[in-house]
Amino acid sequence: MNSTMINNIIIDGMTFALPLFIMAIGGIFSEKSGITNLALEGLQGMGAFIGALAATLAAAAGVPDDSTRILAFLFAALGGGIYACLHAVLCIKFKANQVISGVVINILAMALTSFLTKAINRTVFGAASDKFILAVSKRITIPGISRIPVLGAFFTNVYPFEFLIIVVAFLAWFVLYKTTFGLRLRACGDNPGAVDAAGGDVAKLRFAGVVVSGALSGIAGMCFAYSILAKFSGDIYMGYGYLSIAGYIFGNWSLLPTLAACLIFGFARSGGYELVKALGMPSAYSDLVMILPYVLTLFLLIFLSKKNQAPKALGEIYDKSKR
Amino acid sequence: MNNGRLYRRIAVAAVLLSLLAGTVLMLILGKNPFLAYYNLLQGSGLAPKAKYAAARSMWTDLSSFIDFWTPMIFAALACAVAMKTGLFNIGISGQMLVAGFLATITIGYSGLSAYLAKPLVILIGMAAGMAVGALIGFLKYRFNINEVVSSIMLNYIAEYIISFFIQTRFVDPVSRQSKNIGAAARLTLQDVAIGGYKFSIPLAFVLAVIACVLVKIMLDRTVLGYELKAVGANRTAAGYAGIRVGRSMIVSMAISGALAGLAGVSYYLGYFASIQPKVLVSTGFDSIAVCLLGSSDPVGILFSSFLIQVIAKGSTYMSSQQGLESEIVSVITGLILLFSACSAFFMGLVVSRKNAKNNTKDLRFGDEAETAPAAVTAAVNRPAEDKGGEEA
Repeated sequence: MNSTMINNIIIDGMTFALPLFIMAIGGIFSEKSGITNLALEGLQGMGAFIGALAATLAAAAGVPDDSTRILAFLFAALGGGIYACLHAVLCIKFKANQVISGVVINILAMALTSFLTKAINRTVFGAASDKFILAVSKRITIPGISRIPVLGAFFTNVYPFEFLIIVVAFLAWFVLYKTTFGLRLRACGDNPGAVDAAGGDVAKLRFAGVVVSGALSGIAGMCFAYSILAKFSGDIYMGYGYLSIAGYIFGNWSLLPTLAACLIFGFARSGGYELVKALGMPSAYSDLVMILPYVLTLFLLIFLSKKNQAPKALGEIYDKSKR
Repeated sequence: MNNGRLYRRIAVAAVLLSLLAGTVLMLILGKNPFLAYYNLLQGSGLAPKAKYAAARSMWTDLSSFIDFWTPMIFAALACAVAMKTGLFNIGISGQMLVAGFLATITIGYSGLSAYLAKPLVILIGMAAGMAVGALIGFLKYRFNINEVVSSIMLNYIAEYIISFFIQTRFVDPVSRQSKNIGAAARLTLQDVAIGGYKFSIPLAFVLAVIACVLVKIMLDRTVLGYELKAVGANRTAAGYAGIRVGRSMIVSMAISGALAGLAGVSYYLGYFASIQPKVLVSTGFDSIAVCLLGSSDPVGILFSSFLIQVIAKGSTYMSSQQGLESEIVSVITGLILLFSACSAFFMGLVVSRKNAKNNTKDLRFGDEAETAPAAVTAAVNRPAEDKGGEEA
């Protein structure tokens, strides 16, 4: 195992792990507020779709590349957030089963985005295509630090969105643990009755939690569209949303352990790919490598699900009259 | 008005609303929605097309539609059995794939005679699906792993491993799919000529109808069915009543998996004769819509699966006739799913209103859950989902 291999594992692992992490942060916001969120998969897809659409339209209008990318991420967050309102309304207003609602949101997102991608390509751009092609985002290498052996790889060929994710992660920690809003949000997931008694609005707080999860998932989807996929298409639904759910269950609904889980997924994936490459195996073998994160998830869940403690009121519909 | 009738009204409303939304979409795209919907019927052999190829007629299309309908009945029953127990089997597609693949490589390529091969295909499909389903139930019971997450993981693992084996061992170089199975093992008789026309005769359809009856009897008339439903309604209470909750969950997922396995063999070794690598069929996911729409009841499922499959089967013909993206039908199915997910709320609303009207003297708030029908409560009242029932 030589140093370029280790570098590749770190670089590719980080570009996969950090979007998973930001999506998991979104999931934590939603679940800490008491709303089970299996909709992450659909939310990231819808976010990526809106972002990619904005980017394609902007590029067609002649907006320079850098501004296009910023615009894409803004719209991805917006699209994911707005689409998440559907999950929030279903769970909070219509008192739907939250697991079913999450799955419905995912199925609808897949159907809507693939239909709209084709329809918009045909009517607006006059092309029969089921994807929006995006250029791979440019990468940054920080001079100086990147020369350090091994650790330097963390600062080599970094996508700009990775910095964005780290900033958002700090912000999320601050909001969740250092503000009244965060305190109340977390309380909603453990004892909504107490929040209500203290004058908080449970429905509004939970709504906010779900919308935040949508916005962050949207950003994550856009990250995948700009890095691994270099396009928006149905390929975005690879189950990464479910991986990040496993990530925060593994991380016991707190931020740093969740980051660790996501990093394990990322490095398992990139490590497997490097192994296939290094051993010179045919490309069919990469299918076997693809299952590594999923197998790892199952095993980790086997060891950790029993011990870990979900928010107490998770998945419960809050009914004031039953207090 | 009893609850069954009320539910049917709400289900019909959900379908109509979704079709209306589809109509609006089509109008925006400048297409004629009535023609498009008529095309759906034509594509499924329920209305005559303008012209047919040689040896084909409306009845040919209809027989092919029934062939397409069969796996969905099994899949939706699989979803319903799990749902009644308060479990959500989203791994039906994966279980279908495992069952289809194992039956294909063991019997499909074996060259056994038809009388031996066909029953074996069905048995192996059931056993394979049952094993995967029981595993998910076991993980849920023993390790408290959310069945949705574990079945999704198993879906992807099955998809990639099977795709690996197909691409390295069983690939047909022309179609890029697995090699076609022998006709003896196929559950659908192909190109049977009757009166100058060719038909496909899906043998598994008979089995699907029998499965509907058996599941109905199991749920409504047996101790096992009662226990499963009790666990679905309230896990803690069922435990106190002496029902072995863990065993019920595993049994329920095993039955669900076996039905999914039947869906798999009737799809991969019936409607098709090969497996496309790296693809999970949408049948498993659409079956959730079918199941919700049919209120997890086998009879309701017969009707709702018919409707959803007409929409799905006709989409190709509609797409070719109208120049509309065939994906629009998955949007309509998705919307049906969305509205059905809210049905419990509307039922609660209607029922509580009636109660308020009927007993104005004895007005009690917050009783909707008690007055909602058992079927809906079973599907909805499982807040303890991720907590493994530790609130006791």
